[in-house]
Formats: sequence, C-alpha cells, structure tokens
Amino acid sequence: MKTFASVNARDAKHAVTLSQQARRDGKVAAFNGGGSDLLGLVKERTLSPDVLVNLRTIKGLDEVSSSRGMVNVGGLITLDALGRNQQIRRDYAVLAEAAETVATPQIRNFGTLAGNVCQRPWCWYFRNGFPCYKAGGNQCFSVTGENQFHAIFGGGPSFIVHPSDTAPALVALEANFRIVGPSGERMIPAADFFVLPQRTPARENILADDEMLAGVQLPAPRPGTRGTYHKVLDREAWTHAVVSAAIVLEIEKDVCRSARIVLGGVAPIPWRVPAAERLLIGQRVTPELAAQVAETALAGANPLRNNGYKVPLTKTIVRRTVLELANRTA
Amino acid sequence: MKKTETRKKKHTSRREFLESTGAVLVAATAVPAIQAQTSETQGSPAPAAPRTAIRLHVNGSNQRIEVEDRWTLAELLRDHLKLTGTKIGCDRGECGACTVLVDGKPAYSCSQLAVWMDGRSVETVESLAQGGKLHPLQKSFMEHDAPQCGFCTSGQLMSARALLARNPHPTAQEVQAALTGNLCRCSNYNRYVAATVAAGAGNEGRSLQSVSRSAALGASLPTLKTVGQPTTRIDARERVSGKATYSGDVQLPGMLYARVLRSPHPHARIRKIDASQALAMPGVKAIVSHENCKFVWGAGGVAGGVQYNDQIKKITKQRRYAFNNPVRFAGDPVAAVAAVDRHTAEEALRRIEVDYEVLPFVLDPEEAMKPGAVQIWPEGNVSLDNQNEAKPMTQQRGKVEDGFRTADHVFEDRYTTAFVHNAQMEPRTCVAMWEGDKLTMYTPTGGIANCQNDIARDLEIPTDKVRVICQYMGGNFGNKNQNQDSDLIAATLAKQAGAPVKLEFSRKEDFIGMHGRWPTIQYYKVGVNRDGTLQSIQLRGYSGMGPYRKNSGRMGGIEIYQCPNIESVIYPVYTNKTVSGNFRGPEFPQGFFGIQSMMDDVAYKMNMDPVDFVLKNMTRKANDQVDYTNYSLDECIRRGVEAFDWKTRWRPKPGSDPGPIKRGAGMSFMAFRSGVGRSNAIIQLDGNGQYWVRVGVTDVGAGAKTTMGLIAAEALDVPLSQINVVWGDTDRCPYSVGESGSRTTIMTGTAVIEAARDLKRQIAAKGMPKGSDVLTASANPNPTVEGGKVRATYGAHFVDVEVDTETGRVRVLKYLAVHDCGRIMNPLSATGQIKGGATMGIGMALHEELLYDPRSGQALTPGYYGHRVLTHRDAPEIEVIFLESDDGYGAFGSKSMGESSKVPAVAAVGNAIFNAIGRRMKDLPITRSRIIVALSGERA
Repeated sequence: MKTFASVNARDAKHAVTLSQQARRDGKVAAFNGGGSDLLGLVKERTLSPDVLVNLRTIKGLDEVSSSRGMVNVGGLITLDALGRNQQIRRDYAVLAEAAETVATPQIRNFGTLAGNVCQRPWCWYFRNGFPCYKAGGNQCFSVTGENQFHAIFGGGPSFIVHPSDTAPALVALEANFRIVGPSGERMIPAADFFVLPQRTPARENILADDEMLAGVQLPAPRPGTRGTYHKVLDREAWTHAVVSAAIVLEIEKDVCRSARIVLGGVAPIPWRVPAAERLLIGQRVTPELAAQVAETALAGANPLRNNGYKVPLTKTIVRRTVLELANRTA
Repeated sequence: MKKTETRKKKHTSRREFLESTGAVLVAATAVPAIQAQTSETQGSPAPAAPRTAIRLHVNGSNQRIEVEDRWTLAELLRDHLKLTGTKIGCDRGECGACTVLVDGKPAYSCSQLAVWMDGRSVETVESLAQGGKLHPLQKSFMEHDAPQCGFCTSGQLMSARALLARNPHPTAQEVQAALTGNLCRCSNYNRYVAATVAAGAGNEGRSLQSVSRSAALGASLPTLKTVGQPTTRIDARERVSGKATYSGDVQLPGMLYARVLRSPHPHARIRKIDASQALAMPGVKAIVSHENCKFVWGAGGVAGGVQYNDQIKKITKQRRYAFNNPVRFAGDPVAAVAAVDRHTAEEALRRIEVDYEVLPFVLDPEEAMKPGAVQIWPEGNVSLDNQNEAKPMTQQRGKVEDGFRTADHVFEDRYTTAFVHNAQMEPRTCVAMWEGDKLTMYTPTGGIANCQNDIARDLEIPTDKVRVICQYMGGNFGNKNQNQDSDLIAATLAKQAGAPVKLEFSRKEDFIGMHGRWPTIQYYKVGVNRDGTLQSIQLRGYSGMGPYRKNSGRMGGIEIYQCPNIESVIYPVYTNKTVSGNFRGPEFPQGFFGIQSMMDDVAYKMNMDPVDFVLKNMTRKANDQVDYTNYSLDECIRRGVEAFDWKTRWRPKPGSDPGPIKRGAGMSFMAFRSGVGRSNAIIQLDGNGQYWVRVGVTDVGAGAKTTMGLIAAEALDVPLSQINVVWGDTDRCPYSVGESGSRTTIMTGTAVIEAARDLKRQIAAKGMPKGSDVLTASANPNPTVEGGKVRATYGAHFVDVEVDTETGRVRVLKYLAVHDCGRIMNPLSATGQIKGGATMGIGMALHEELLYDPRSGQALTPGYYGHRVLTHRDAPEIEVIFLESDDGYGAFGSKSMGESSKVPAVAAVGNAIFNAIGRRMKDLPITRSRIIVALSGERA
C-alpha cells in the first residue's frame, strides 16, 4: 500500500481541522470510519491519501439519543449496532432493516452509518481502475460497455447507482443530515445531500473538502407509520442492491395518510418517486392500486442496453412491498 | 529533486547492464552486478513510512508494537507477530479467510489498519485451544470434516466463536447468517453449519449420525476393517488450529517480497521497458522482464491440451514464456520486482515505464474465427495441437446425415457457457530459495513431482536440483497442477537478488493471471425417432482458450448417450482473454450443460418424462461399443428417482404452477472417466513398529493424506495410528501422479497397496525390524484394465427449485446426488467431495462469470465479490447417496470422485429451472436478469 500517516481525531471539529491542516500542507486527506471501503480504494490506488483522519477515536459519535421527539443517530454508529438498536427497530424499522442487509457481519461490525451513506460507487469500471467520471476522468464506460447493474433513472454523464442501503431508508424517513466542516455545522435534508452526476460527476454528495457527515436526525415517528426495506441481491447475501425499495407509509384506519417511496439501485442517488407516492394519499391500498403505484414509480425509466430487466423487477418490488406494508397490522 | 537525479544516475548504469546482458539471463553475471547495485542503494535513505507505537492485547497478552501506519492488521499478525493461522484470501474484505475477533467481534483483519487497533483486544485462531486442549468448536469442525482445503477454516472458526458467545444454541439458519461473511470455495458449507450447530448444542464429542446414505450394489461387497470407516483426517488438528503451513506462511531469513507488473492491454507489443526508476529505489533488489528472463513456461502454454514434456517442448511453434512479448491478454506478466518488503515492491512496479504498441484484440471465439479477425498468432486463431496443426477436435461414429434423414424429428439449438474462475481460496504465493545450484520452492501445487519436473525443464537445470515442498494447499480445482509462471519468476528473482524471494499474487492477479474454465458456444442438432430413440447427435463447438492453449478446450457429454450416429467438431480458439484451463472436470460441466439441456428439451418436445428419455438413451457401453468394468447408471437413476420423489416434484407441464412463484424439478446424469494408471509409493517399517508411508501427494483438500493412510492400514492390517504418512516434499517422497483428474486414490492408492504387499512379504521373510533397522518396500505399479473395458464413475443429480418469475430469484429447495464412485474409502470426506462439487455447480449455473469489458478487454469481475461465489446463505443441503461397488480395479475398488460431482450439477439446475418456468435458459449463468428478460419480454 501507499504510505500515509494515520492521525486520530478527538472530536468532529478536530477531525475537520486535521483534514484542513493536511490539505494546507499540500497533502491528500481522507476520513476513515470503519475503513472497509476506504482501504479497498487505497489498495487499488483509486484513492491516494497522504493522511487518514481517524474518526474512530471520537467518543460519543456512535450513539442514539432523543431530544424533543427527534432521534439523533451519530454517524459513527456501526451498522450492526444500528440494526440491533431497539428504538430504531421499533420506530424506524426501514433503517434497521436496511442496515441489516449490508454486506456481512464482519463489515457491519465496523462499517459505520456515515461510511455506508458516503461509500463510493461499486460500478465495476470504477472499482477496476478505469479513468471514469467517478475517478476524475471524463467518460462513463458503462454507456457502451457492460451496464446490467447501472442506472435506469437520473443517469448521465455517469450511470452509476448509489451503493448505499441506508441512504434510501434515510431519505424515506425524511432525515436531516448533520454536516461538520470548516465553517461549522449545518443541517440539510437527506434528499438534498445526494447529487446527480450532471451536477458533480466525480462525487455522489454535497460534502466539500474537509467536511464530514457527523450524524443524522430522524423526525419523530407519527402514529400509524410503518416502514420496510426490500433489497434484491445478486446472490443470497453480500452484494449491493440490484434494486431496492425503502418504503414508509402512514396508515390510519386502513387509509394511507402519507407515503414515501425511495428506490435504491436504480439511480446515482436514492430515487424518490413522488408521483407514485401521491397515488396512495387518502386511499385504501388494494392490489390494483399497488400495481398502479409501481407502474407510476417506474414511469420515465430510461434503461441502457443490459439493464432493462430492472424496470419490471423494481415494479414487482414496489408493488409487493406497498401491499405487504399496507396489509401489516400496525 | 536532487534525490531524483541520483536515482537517474543509478538507472543509467542499470539500464546499460540490462542492455549489455542481452536477452538471456546469465545468472552468474547478474548476481554480482545486482549486489553492487544493492550496496550502492543502501546508503540512500529509505522512503519514510510513518510509524506509530500501539498497545495491543493479542490472544491474551499485552503487546507494545511499533507499526507502519499502512500495515493492515492481517499483515501485522502474519508477518510481524508470526500468527499465520489467519489467512489472506483476497485482501479486500470479500472472502473472510482473514477473520479475527476485535473486542470480541468478527472483523476482516485485511480491512483494518493495525494502527486503528490501539488499545483493542485481538483474538486469532491461535487463541482457541487452551493449554493444548482444543476448543469444542475445533473438535466439532474436525469431527464433521468441515475443513477441506482448510484455508477458510480459521475465519469460519472465529465467526462461529463470536456467534456462540452471544447465542450458545444457534439454529442452522442463524449459523448461516453469522458465517455468511466467510466463503468456502470447497463449498463444504453444510459441514461448517452442522459443526457449529453441534458445538453450540454442547454435543462435543458426538459422532455424526449419518454422513451419507450408502448402499452396496449387488450382493457382495465385503466390509473392510479400516477402509470405509468414517475417519477424522490425520491432519485435521493442524487444519483447525492455524498450524497447517501453507506456502504463504513460509518465512525465511533475509526473504524478499516480489510483485508482478501486468499488461493493462489485452494485446500489445512492448517497445521498451524502462525499469531504471524502480531499480533505483532503496530496497529494490532485482527486476526481471522478458528482456532478461527468457524461460519457456511449458505447462502454461502450448501443449495442445496434453501434459507438457521434452518432446513437445522441441516441437511447439507457439511458445509461452514466463514473460511474453507481445503480451496477449490484460494481465500477461510484463516484469517483476523483488524488494525488501511488499510495499516497496508494489511501489517499484509503479515506477517501471513500459512503452506499448497497442494492438487490436478479439474476445469472442466465434468472432475470432471470422475471416479478417485479429490474428493473435501468425498461424491463426485456431489453437495448434502438439504437432503444430490447427485442427478442430473431432469425434465420429456412423453418419449423422443418415440419422437426420431417417429420424422422425430433428431439433437444433445453441447453448453457451461463461468463463468462470476456479477461485480457490488460497491465492498463488510461492517462496524460492537457492542454496548453491539447488532450488527449493515452497509453492502451492497439486502435483509436487510434476511441478518439480516442470520447473527443472523450464529453468533448464537437472531435476534433482529442484526441491518442491507443499505441505498444505488452499484448494486446487485444476488451477494449481504442474508448475506456475510464478515459480519461474520467483526462482529467477531469487537467483538475481541472491536471497530467498516470496512472490505473492493478489486475488485479482490470481483471477486474471492464471486461468479459468473455458467458455463455450455449442451448436447441437439431434435426430430422434417417434418413440424417443436417438438417431443422430451433431455438435459444432467453439471454446475460448485465451491466447495460449494451456489445456484441451474439449466439451464432454455426447459420449454418455447411445446413438448410432454422432459427430462432434470442436474448435479451440485463441482469444485475448485470460487463459483458459482445467477446472474441476475440465470439459464436462460446460459440455454437460449443453448436451443435458438439449436432451431435456428433446424429451420435452417429444412429450416424454426426461427420466424415461434418459433410461432409453443413456450409455450402456462406452462409445456404444465397449463394456464398462461395472455398470450402475440405471441403478443410480432409479434409486434417485425414488429417493427424490421425482414423480411428485417434476411437473409434466413445465411452468404450470399457478402464481408468480413456481416450482420444478430437473435431473442430469453422468458417466465419468475413472482410469487406472501408474504411480509410486514407498512404505518403510522401523524398529518401533511404525510404518512410514511416503507418497508424493499434497492433499488439495480432498483428504488424500488420510486416504493413503487408510489404504495402507487396511493393506498392512494394522491400525491407522501406526501409520505415518509422509507427503508434500520431493526430497522425501517418491513420484506420485498429481492430484488432478480425480486419480490419486485409484493410482497412488494402488501403489500403496502394492508396496504394503511387498513389505508384508519382507516381514514374513525377515521378521519385524529391530533397533535401527528399517524395512523398505516400494512399488511402481502401472495397472491396465483387462479386455479393453472402460472404467467409469456414475451419478445422477436431482434438483427441486423454486423460481420467483417476477424477481428472477432461484432457490434450490432440495438437492439429491446419487453416486457410484466404487468403494468409498472415507465416507466422511467423500460426502464432502460430492457436496462441494454440487454446490459449486449451483454457483456456476446461477451466478458465476468472469465478465469482460468488450471495449477494453479488461476483466470486470476479477474477485469474489464480482464473481459471485456462493455464500453460506446460498448453499442448500446436498443429500448424498453412495451406491458402492468394487469392479476389481483401483485401490479396493475405488473410482474417481472429486470432479464428478460437479459434472451433472449445472445441467440439473438448468433443467429444474426449465421445469419450473417453462422457458429454456440456454446461456450461463442463469441470472435473475436473464430469467426476467426471458419471461417478461423486456429488452435485455
């Protein structure tokens, strides 16, 4: 591996300072949480940091706490801890379930929520050293290459799909992200965190240099809310989502009061489908309505040569999940 | 900048040296020159890798260690704390071999930096046994024969230990979930799960209830004393305690680390290699490339699909060297560096400048056959055989055209199979050491004697100047027969540097640098009569060989049908993909997928139950002419049909289940080569009454050491405890056939029996030896089968699948494998062989592919994640029934086994999917996307 120095951060602000210092010295800095994704990129030389700012020494940034009805989740919470947390399982099942579907126990034991949300794409061109948009180049090799796992929505100029399982869940929960950077702290809605390649082809989110995702804030759960994460894998475990759906419904006396449907594995960002959500409002969920919701969710999909199968597949997932959630006794 | 200038200066001298030595490496000249270079560089400062002192609690002891910030935890444990029980299979968190516990939780030690472990507790496999007493999990793993090759075992153990700590009585499903992050390419998943469940239930010491069902064929198969008893492997303890020494665990004083630079282009001519910057780096000790290392790698190249030998070496026109120019696939070695540590070697590769003239390339064998296609060799793209002739491989009986004329129905179809990789858990690592003119190689090989011969031939030194040692090996599956280019490269670097060299392949290099199963395109035409009797079978096939013909490129399968007219014409075609070679049943799983899918389809179109069709048309004599030494194919199928409940599970109308989730059943059968042949064994008896059985086996994971011990014990009529097997070292063992072709038990086992007979004669004549006396018996039998009969091993697989037609998900609900592999030597390991092959077959059917980018010719899935090797959660329970027989050949009637279990598996899964969904899936792998496309009519 390339040489680098590992420096320990005391707190989020210190981490930012360490990153800034490194960059001022003309060095490339990177934050590490669990490190699984980062080390892979460093070993492949896709990323060549001189300084790793170690966030694992920060205390207290891995906790779940409540204040004024809202729940704060530290960015350094491991996926394993997140999936096992009783409060999250009860009130934000979609997030717990998403965390549980990630990779393997070994990765979930050390991989963090922030790391999962910020991990780089798993496009096989990017991961195999092609000089693509995501690696700072100026083309997307999937367009004329092998694209069965690529985007059917929001693609161009890069057609990666966002690799995170927790990201669609957080968007579906309408979480806010706490970002710490050189100018202090800011909160932004989860949906605004992720950016399409047409805006910044080399990045998947709005984090600027020296900025880090410190945590997420989940709004208080409303009565009658139920959510689930449905992930389709390419073997029974240990792949990223071929497609997935994070769905949260608020149902009162069999009538849907609000709905959030966010798709994973179909676009360079978690892909929310408001038109499909609207069909559910004020309705009883029937098999016919669920099918209509699914049709609407996939309207406008624009597949490449080899990923057309994602359209019927995602429709099935949306239809089944909406129906299953609606039929659940709350 | 100043430093750079100094480097430049050194580079010039090195450059001049390279040019002055010309193309051929002259070791005697090279060594002093490089040593001079070395002493020069020792003066300059080493590149500063930041270091940090950490406190670490390792296996119960507190340690203060200064680590380089870039060291992974695995690296710290293995290289610096000598805890080599933790293995590195991929170095990317994609396999689990490196799993250790960090603060009690399973972690991939390859994906954690050592510096992050400050203040933490780390437990490795070495911590499990306390005071010489094994942990219950270790015992249970031994008793269940969970480790085959053993390379993944430490990781499986650590995950299991963490599970039991929080859940002392897990269910099988909970074990699968907890161990999902630990791959086992031997695919002994059933056993790891059973062993963990048993250990958890506190059933320590409990013997297995049943390893498999077994029934004797015919009336008389007398029970033997030792052979046939479920036996714990003689080296099981080493495999579960991290003490088994694999090649990568070898560390020698002063050892250097080597890395290979590979071509990024699928086809290019190297104009110039400038290694001066690399050579000037402090710590770099030697660099080799095609300019100074001109050895032919015989076994890697153009043998026309037969074992390489001196004769072929003289004849072949198309030679494969350790380094080739032009390079002919992305991954072809270009240069290699030996340096003081692996990071320096890796960094040095980046400083080698290669000027390529990029050439056009071709990836698809049919494309490569077209007029005007890129010519990979001057002789054209049809691979040359060992007589330098570009001919297809043909097989003919009768006249197919006559059969098609008289047949009532003629069917035609096209099937394709993907390029898949062996993906054995242990990546290629070898250590080369010269002592004077004698080379010792620690290298993973399934055939130490073949490897020794090949290395000597390739390096042009006498055979007795090469010693090959392989004590443990992390899986073979055809990928580590003979010698490897890595052996030649490491030996050359070690010679140049004057120090031992460890050459390590990364997982990606192991995928793209070695070989996988040849992809095929198969065109069938089948003529059949109204009553379902076959009249003609014609196959035209194309195998993608990569740019060197390492192995045959055949497609097996047609021969298992009796049919008056057959014709098969198969072209082994050069392409610019990674080389193709042997992989568990080299030509069969892919050939069988084609022919057995085709025949299943013919049966369907003839409105017949496939079982009836098979019973009518399957082979009864070899090539329709010659008797088999025993025949039980019909019995395998009948017993399977009954035990599987075929009539209930198979749908007379495919795809007829109501609703989107449909079930269906499929079957496939095989008759597979099981020849006899030459091998050697030596048995010695010492004055203490101990028997020393010397056999040239490594034990690739199938249990050969134990099998040889069992056979010796039986033949000598002594308990296994008096038998000491000596293996894996050419200085201590006689020549034995390599552990490829499923032949060790048959051939080397027969040699053991012969040697035992001789020894018993000697004992009868001279009495038991006393004091320091030793009796020695050796045997070199070369048996043949009488009357020109053919030996075959038989089997039939039955699969019940559930397919979600809307999501394309396929789940195997029931899997039954019925095999006649002759007499079973050790039911415990034999069952694991069948389970493993069948599970691998499911992976090949549903998921696996080494996929290439059509535009750049680069592999896109060169690793466990991309290649989709099955996980614990994917692996169904494989039920095994053995029909035991003894045809009078092989050791006590043993027949081939290891490969055979994969042969029918892929087709059986494919046929079950057809029965469930009513669509014939003709291309491998049968992925979700292909099923959805087939059923929904969506484009791609």
